[in-house]
Amino acid sequence: MSKLGQVVESIEKYNKFVLDQVKRARSDGQFGRDLVGRWNDMKAKIPVTRTPTGIPLPRLALPEIDEPGEIARYLFGEGLPGEFPYLNGAYREMYLEPIREVESLAKNGHAKNGKPAKKIAPAEEPTRLFSGLMLAEDTNERFHFLTAHQRTQRLSTAFDGPTLYGIDSDADGVFGKIGEGGVAIDTVEDMVRLYDGFDLGSPNFSASMTISGPAPIIMAMYIAAAKRRFGPSVVPKLRGTIQADIFKEIQAQNETIFPIEPSLRFLTDMVEFTTHQMPRWYPISISGYHIGEAGSTPVQQAAYTLSNGFAYAEMFAARGIPVDQFGPRLSFFLDCGLDAEYIALARVSRRIWAIGMRDCFGAGPKAQLYKLHIQTSGRSLIAAEFKNNLTRTAAELVLAYMNATNSCHSNSADEPFTTPSEEWIRLAAHGQAILLEESGMFKHTMNMLSGSPGMKAVERAVEAAILDEFREIERLGGVLAAVEERYQRSQIQNAAHRYEQQIYDGTRPIIALNKYRNGGDDVPEVKLVRTPRKKQQLQVDRLATFKKKNADKAKRALDKLADVVERGENCFPMLLEAAEVCSLGQITGRLQEVVGRFRPMV
Amino acid sequence: MASPIRILTAVPICDGHDSAINTINLEFIRHGIEVIYLGYHRSVGDIVRAAIQEDVRAIGISSYNGGHVEFFAEVVGLLRKRGANDIKVFGGGGGTITQEDAAAMKHKGVDNIFFAGTSLAEMTDYVRKHYGRPRGKRLRAKSPDQELAHKLTEIEDAYATRRKRPTRNAQSKIRNTKVIGFTGPGGAGKTTLIDELVLRFLNQNPKGKIAILSHDPSVIGEGALLGDRATMINSQNDRVFMRSMATRGQAGGLSPATHDCLTRLARSGFAYVIIETVGTGQEAMPFQKNGIVDETVLVMNPDYGSRLQLQKIVMLDLADIVVVNKSDLQRARTAHSEIEQRLDQNRRNQRLVDTVAKRHRDPGVDELFALISKG
Repeated sequence: MSKLGQVVESIEKYNKFVLDQVKRARSDGQFGRDLVGRWNDMKAKIPVTRTPTGIPLPRLALPEIDEPGEIARYLFGEGLPGEFPYLNGAYREMYLEPIREVESLAKNGHAKNGKPAKKIAPAEEPTRLFSGLMLAEDTNERFHFLTAHQRTQRLSTAFDGPTLYGIDSDADGVFGKIGEGGVAIDTVEDMVRLYDGFDLGSPNFSASMTISGPAPIIMAMYIAAAKRRFGPSVVPKLRGTIQADIFKEIQAQNETIFPIEPSLRFLTDMVEFTTHQMPRWYPISISGYHIGEAGSTPVQQAAYTLSNGFAYAEMFAARGIPVDQFGPRLSFFLDCGLDAEYIALARVSRRIWAIGMRDCFGAGPKAQLYKLHIQTSGRSLIAAEFKNNLTRTAAELVLAYMNATNSCHSNSADEPFTTPSEEWIRLAAHGQAILLEESGMFKHTMNMLSGSPGMKAVERAVEAAILDEFREIERLGGVLAAVEERYQRSQIQNAAHRYEQQIYDGTRPIIALNKYRNGGDDVPEVKLVRTPRKKQQLQVDRLATFKKKNADKAKRALDKLADVVERGENCFPMLLEAAEVCSLGQITGRLQEVVGRFRPMV
Repeated sequence: MASPIRILTAVPICDGHDSAINTINLEFIRHGIEVIYLGYHRSVGDIVRAAIQEDVRAIGISSYNGGHVEFFAEVVGLLRKRGANDIKVFGGGGGTITQEDAAAMKHKGVDNIFFAGTSLAEMTDYVRKHYGRPRGKRLRAKSPDQELAHKLTEIEDAYATRRKRPTRNAQSKIRNTKVIGFTGPGGAGKTTLIDELVLRFLNQNPKGKIAILSHDPSVIGEGALLGDRATMINSQNDRVFMRSMATRGQAGGLSPATHDCLTRLARSGFAYVIIETVGTGQEAMPFQKNGIVDETVLVMNPDYGSRLQLQKIVMLDLADIVVVNKSDLQRARTAHSEIEQRLDQNRRNQRLVDTVAKRHRDPGVDELFALISKG
């Protein structure tokens, strides 16, 4: 049985354990009375907050149950926010406003005033906006614009096509792609420009980089750039995330540059390095987003993301990295669209991850957390009457926060056409602030919208469907075997095809596309962000200068790198050296000579 | 009966968005179109070379990552430069291609751009209407590749319109060209294996050229998805001439026109001509006795089932070389010894090679390459 088969068993076993606890609470008087006592104590201790109009609300809402069996079902089956199995949230308070005054709830349910609490440092904003355009200095300018009013600087970087495929801006036929859809990065010098003016070692700064195929090389360039600016002592202080999710690339996004095995090996090399040297870095973001965007169903998205995660955990453990060291540095990234499944998709995922990590990997509490970033669905946005996209994104944001995501990106309404422009980015960011800060939906009370009968129904249906997917992958021999057989790919493609069919036959209404269409096709007036040829040429020229300047050193570094890879050692330290003097394309090319190129699956 | 429309579809370089094109490909083949799918992250050179070799009526490009104005224009420009003005270009990119862009692209010679919201039926109708008419008189070919491609089209069209019966007479031996036939069940890894052999050939022969005739099944009453090029990354090379053929209703793993096309290829000065059948069943014996195939390779998957199943595979008696691919699988050792015994009974000095074609620089593939180049 592969690890995934064990995970299925552990979930089934845990669900049975919950049922047993429910029965026991009802039959074993002492156990039942203890539970009710604990429950009442807990409720009494919940602080109270006030809405702006003066209504008291508990900071944590709990179901109105007083029967021991139901209390057991809640505490063991769901857990309080921040408690195993984390259905309701990875942390206790998530996006609640800092406490201004503490009140305690009296037995009769009325609040009485308490003493002002001591000031609590504000948490990081959950807003993280994805950005990347043209050359490094242009993206840098955008980063400064985006973070101008933020307490914390959380940058999320999009790379252009050539960078995502590990090739240089001077490669054949890519000129028009330079700086399109993301920032062009060829060398460590570009990386220095990209984050110029930001204090990379500061606890208030974190950088996220959305790149997978060449992730270890880009990671090495980031470290090299940080060292150039702040010296070697900055390395252990670096905070951020790099996507580096090879499985989802092969299953959905198609930005893989080495064959599967060496891709996974380079990834593990990087994870081994960051786990030991950069304890604050998240070296992989296990991503369902692109699986969802490629057309999967929500259940496929959740199931493949989780199973990929378990496969990575197995791999890192096999390298000898302790689960309690790498476990807390794993993070997840999901898509949130408008389908009903999204009401509880992330909640269920969090629970399955926690149980699987605890019971199959022996993970401690910190390594059980399914730390989640959600992005609203790009695929759900359409070009026709594009301002409707604001509403779509707003609905998706509500769903995302109902799932207690740890951070969130809201898409710009103009995304179907172009790299988002400032006007629509601002609206997207404000959408989050309106929900979290202006509206009372999420800032007063944890569990504000959790636990409705409908949500419970979705949870049960989604969990059962995810476990069915796990069983199918297990039947194919586990995640790696299923990937090699293209199982996930073909499932996603079938789902995408069905989705399109449903749009065309009208069973899936898309407003202003196949329903309530306004007749003529309106041409949206959107200011397009395109990279001027002059900038593209500048990038090519800079690269030529860099290559010329470092020609001798680059050759030596590449030879050493190739040797290390041939010998089968951890190549990351050598990548760090190479990143100082070699371009991305030079490193990719040399590695491909040794390990081959990725062969696409159709 | 008219010949099916052949078109080529691809996603540009540095772009992995293949969800739309996958859906469109399926719709095209459902309506009788033969689609040669080149895959994603494909350069202008690869696209134009493939279109000329496959002699398609049009190229459909699905672009979602920007740079489309330049990319489409480069495709049109290179087609013209290579004398392939008769190959048309169309495409789409959801909302990423604006009306303005589309106008600029059409100005540069692109036939049509489909916008978000275009139905699949509209696209299919467009292709059938614009690229389904019989070809006019063809201009003189500008390159040997193009000339050969035109000839192969003539042969295929002749069979499709039933003007021609297959020639069954044995061909005289062709000198200086070795013809190798690859067959075996679907999923055994024939395509990957051939591509790895091509890589070795290209590395060891700085000037030699190689041809590949690859087959995929036609869907009953419909078109065909000819997708081998998408996985054959090493074979997209100026020294490789590749042609993808649909079986067009013929059983046995080849097309009615295969034999004549193969003969033509074998007389065209390639060092090797490789022919790959579709995935075949146990009773298949796709290559003619005393035909022009010099050497036959049967590629097996270790998971063929019980030993009894082996007795039923006809090609095990006929193949010169038997390959057990995916020999990293658990069952591979058992498969090797069972097949070895089976071959021993034949007493024909057949060779048995274990390979892991998906592995870079696999020693088994090296061994197979040595065997083939020696004979």
